[in-house]
Amino acid sequence: MDRWRLIPYHKFSAFENMAIDEAIFRGNQLGQSPPTLRFYGWDPPALSVGYFQDVDQEVDVGYCRKNRVDIVRRPTGGKAVFHDRELTYSFISSEKQGPFTPGVLGTYLVISRCILKGIAGLGIAAEVAQDSPSVERVNTAHCFSFPSRYEILIAGKKVCGSAQTRANGAFLQHGSLLLCFDPAKALCAIRDRRGRVTEDTLREAVTYLGAYLPEGQTDPEYLSGVLKAGFEDILRVEFVEGRLTPEEEALRDKLLTDKYLSGQWNREGRVPAKDRIS
Amino acid sequence: MMVFPDDLLYSREHTWARVDGNLVTVGLTDYGQAKLGEILNIDLPEVDTYVEQDEPFGTIESAATVTELISPVSGDVVRVNDDIADDVGIINSDPYDTGWMIVVEMTDASELDNLLDSSEYNDYVLGEEGLD
Repeated sequence: MDRWRLIPYHKFSAFENMAIDEAIFRGNQLGQSPPTLRFYGWDPPALSVGYFQDVDQEVDVGYCRKNRVDIVRRPTGGKAVFHDRELTYSFISSEKQGPFTPGVLGTYLVISRCILKGIAGLGIAAEVAQDSPSVERVNTAHCFSFPSRYEILIAGKKVCGSAQTRANGAFLQHGSLLLCFDPAKALCAIRDRRGRVTEDTLREAVTYLGAYLPEGQTDPEYLSGVLKAGFEDILRVEFVEGRLTPEEEALRDKLLTDKYLSGQWNREGRVPAKDRIS
Repeated sequence: MMVFPDDLLYSREHTWARVDGNLVTVGLTDYGQAKLGEILNIDLPEVDTYVEQDEPFGTIESAATVTELISPVSGDVVRVNDDIADDVGIINSDPYDTGWMIVVEMTDASELDNLLDSSEYNDYVLGEEGLD
């Protein structure tokens, strides 16, 4: 059985989280980093936006500043996520390893099956969304306002939002599994100029694990162990606890300084030319 | 059924190249667009940007996924299809015609030897799908 790397749950700042994931992703593209499953949290709470999102149009920057909510741009696509009480995972691999198929949706499906398996271990029946949302529905700023195809639902409501980036045959998938959800708080930081996403529509569309579990079982470290078992079962690999290599740590530090702490990247989606990392 | 026109060359990263002298029009293949699914956003280089063979020239988003677009040749970008920014769906619906992305003034014609013809690309796609 193949042994892949597990980086256990820890809380970091939004900027550190993105720098760590990208460092592993880049290392994997070069064949230097193993397939890796990482679990993490956000300290302080943060808003992450998708690669293509317009921060000025879709984020209430003033609210975030006032309430000490960090804003970071992800290397992955998708919409804005307010990260507070959740378990976040990142999964990085070559699409040629494991049971992954070449297409984008095929990868989502395999990882969703891993998470479903984990959630089933908690005695919760979840399912995979089968329909693709219309372009009209996708055209909102809020990740949790609609389920995408192969995302995870409990009782028809979205519980986990996912996004990917792909390069040189490798992929990085991010996912946020909600442990608790406060629609009012989530809406404060995200602008929906069309006014279609409200507290009521989010309540209708979103659920969270805490609604189905006794309090002690929503501990992120406990849940990451449960999810790890789901990944091992579906991927038929063993995840062995590890840490970043010195090369990954060096790249993380460089990405942190040059990209993720840069207002230009987070606000405009561009890295200053002098700081580009090839 | 996937279509791979005979008059184009293809990269292993699923971009096509239509060669006219030293000008090369570049787009995403029918297989490439199908693999990504419904395209939602695209970021293309500006005119005069130098792009390199097998290196990214842009990014594209589908299904909450950002994917790099890889250039089949090296050279300066001399035209960009601004129309697709307003209607990215044409990359899915018409990948070889109105869905073109950039025109590159090629600096090294020998790079074309690294590309595949229609039949070779068809075999490559079958291999990637595990159908060879």
